Amino acid sequence: MKALIAATVFGVIMMFSGIVMHNRKSIATLAVALFAVLTGISVWDLISAPCDAPQLLFNNMLRLENLSLWFCVLMTAATLLYVMLLHKEIENVGSHVAEYFALIFFILTGIYLLATFNNMLMLFIGIEILSIPQYILAGSDKYNLKSSEASLKYFLMGAFSTGIMLMGITLVYGAAHSFNIMDFVSMLHSESLNPMALAGILFIIMAFSFKVSAAPMHMWTPDVYDGAPTPFTAFMATIGKAAAFFAFLRLFHVAFANLSSHWTTIIAIITAATLFIGNITAVFQQSVKRMLAYSSIAQAGFMLFAVLAVNAAAWHGIIIYAAAYSVATIGLFSVLVKLKDYTYDGFNGLAKKEPMLAFSAAIFVFSLAGIPLTGGFMAKYYVLLAVMQQGHQMWLIIFALLMAAVSVYYYFRVIAAMYFKAGDPQIASPVTLGDKLLLGLTCLIVLLLGIAPQLVM
Amino acid sequence: MDIFDILFWFLSFVAVGCALGVILSRNPINSVLFLILTFFAISGHYILMNAQFLAIVNIIVYAGAIMVLFLFVIMLMNLNADVEPQKGRIVQFAGVLSGGVFFLVLLAATKSAASQQMVKTPTDIGLITNLGKVLFTEYVLPFEISSVLFLSAMIGAIVIGKKEPHLHQTEAR
Repeated sequence: MKALIAATVFGVIMMFSGIVMHNRKSIATLAVALFAVLTGISVWDLISAPCDAPQLLFNNMLRLENLSLWFCVLMTAATLLYVMLLHKEIENVGSHVAEYFALIFFILTGIYLLATFNNMLMLFIGIEILSIPQYILAGSDKYNLKSSEASLKYFLMGAFSTGIMLMGITLVYGAAHSFNIMDFVSMLHSESLNPMALAGILFIIMAFSFKVSAAPMHMWTPDVYDGAPTPFTAFMATIGKAAAFFAFLRLFHVAFANLSSHWTTIIAIITAATLFIGNITAVFQQSVKRMLAYSSIAQAGFMLFAVLAVNAAAWHGIIIYAAAYSVATIGLFSVLVKLKDYTYDGFNGLAKKEPMLAFSAAIFVFSLAGIPLTGGFMAKYYVLLAVMQQGHQMWLIIFALLMAAVSVYYYFRVIAAMYFKAGDPQIASPVTLGDKLLLGLTCLIVLLLGIAPQLVM
Repeated sequence: MDIFDILFWFLSFVAVGCALGVILSRNPINSVLFLILTFFAISGHYILMNAQFLAIVNIIVYAGAIMVLFLFVIMLMNLNADVEPQKGRIVQFAGVLSGGVFFLVLLAATKSAASQQMVKTPTDIGLITNLGKVLFTEYVLPFEISSVLFLSAMIGAIVIGKKEPHLHQTEAR
């Protein structure tokens, strides 16, 4: 697991670069270079892994399968894309540029742990390493009241949900006498199940649904995503959420797979509620940033389908969903930060003024809405296919399709504003040739995911 | 009824009584003081189980550091008066209901637990030698990697606490 060590070391390097370098641009350039190296290292991890059996590392603390390593590669690559697209905006959030990049490296450390944990301790530390830097990033624009509010709200509620998760882990430990998730499989049986284990699983579900912003625990999402500085919202809503989902899936499909009859109904209800609340509330939003916050709840509803289906297809589903959703949302956010006005009216007439911005935003919106030939369609197809293979919960699939139809309405309002309304959109920062090339590349990735999804599976 | 039993029941009584005191007392300062007493009682239990290191750490970290922090926050925010807004009837009812259901589940779990015998023979697992050995062999990865967690928390303290050289007020959007 070289990437784990590399991410930590790079984070420390970024911290010290703040002392040595005083130019924001050079710090950002160093960060982009280090993220590129990290992507290379995680690819190296994947290639050098033996392809037949999973490796157990550090006294069974981590278990590396090819799928988890592949997920690490995808998340690192997505982070690289994110940093390349948004580093100019990250530079301008506050004066601690080096620290922001260091925190993003540390989040990646947490993501690697979440993708490979084999022990509840590692899950807990991974979740915390993922969350604490996000609380800080949410409040990094400290002279903005909304940012501080977002940070405090996220921190208090996140700490509470962490407490609930710890309680759940303790109860499951009490029933299984072990922290090792492989022991859960042998210790917890449906016939002679201690009620303590069930209560623990319920607690863990609740804590995870907070981390992935699923329905009963989604209240924090709009305020935090809206209040946090936009470039960091782009990170929290995509890579941070996808990693929490992967850990969710990993825990429930590996450790609690033979108890699935006990928890699938709860997940199904959470999924339905998440889809309903996310999509319906998004319709009424006037700000695109807030709409994206609700849309991230709605997309979480689709990702929950992968948790619901306990089979091999679900793993592929979550990986392609994480990739397609992250790339499209990061792309859309990188268009959003170029604008001064975040309401729908701010997009009016963008197609005339900045055709490249408008075109790529349209592609990203198509992907999020799940239009064929884009990554989003394939992602939705594969997670729904996984549930279809499971054979039950047909009502949920039909409900999800209905909700996807609702989502088309609010996504296409962006396109309608850009292409069919006249206006003079205010551009916050000039769109350079490099930006256009990167946006083009992101569009290409989105389309490639839609045409050849087997590339990421 | 030997000395172990007497101590066990006494400490349990103190722990449960003080825990009830934490949630029942109206004054936050009293709550915190009850919480400290609860921690001391639990530390007593650790000593009964031959886990001296855990007992001391529990007192130093929880009763010492964290409780002082609690007191600071309460006094800084001037919460010592009873200013907590009253919750609505429905919220109270929902709270009682969910708490009661959870209590039932835990009761069922304890009843169906395999051994209902109190094990009195203390093990050596809680001694500092064994803890140190386990920490640096079996659990070395979580032990080391939590440094990343603390490092990011420290960065957070600096990023949020340090004064920016230029005070710029950005537009809320």
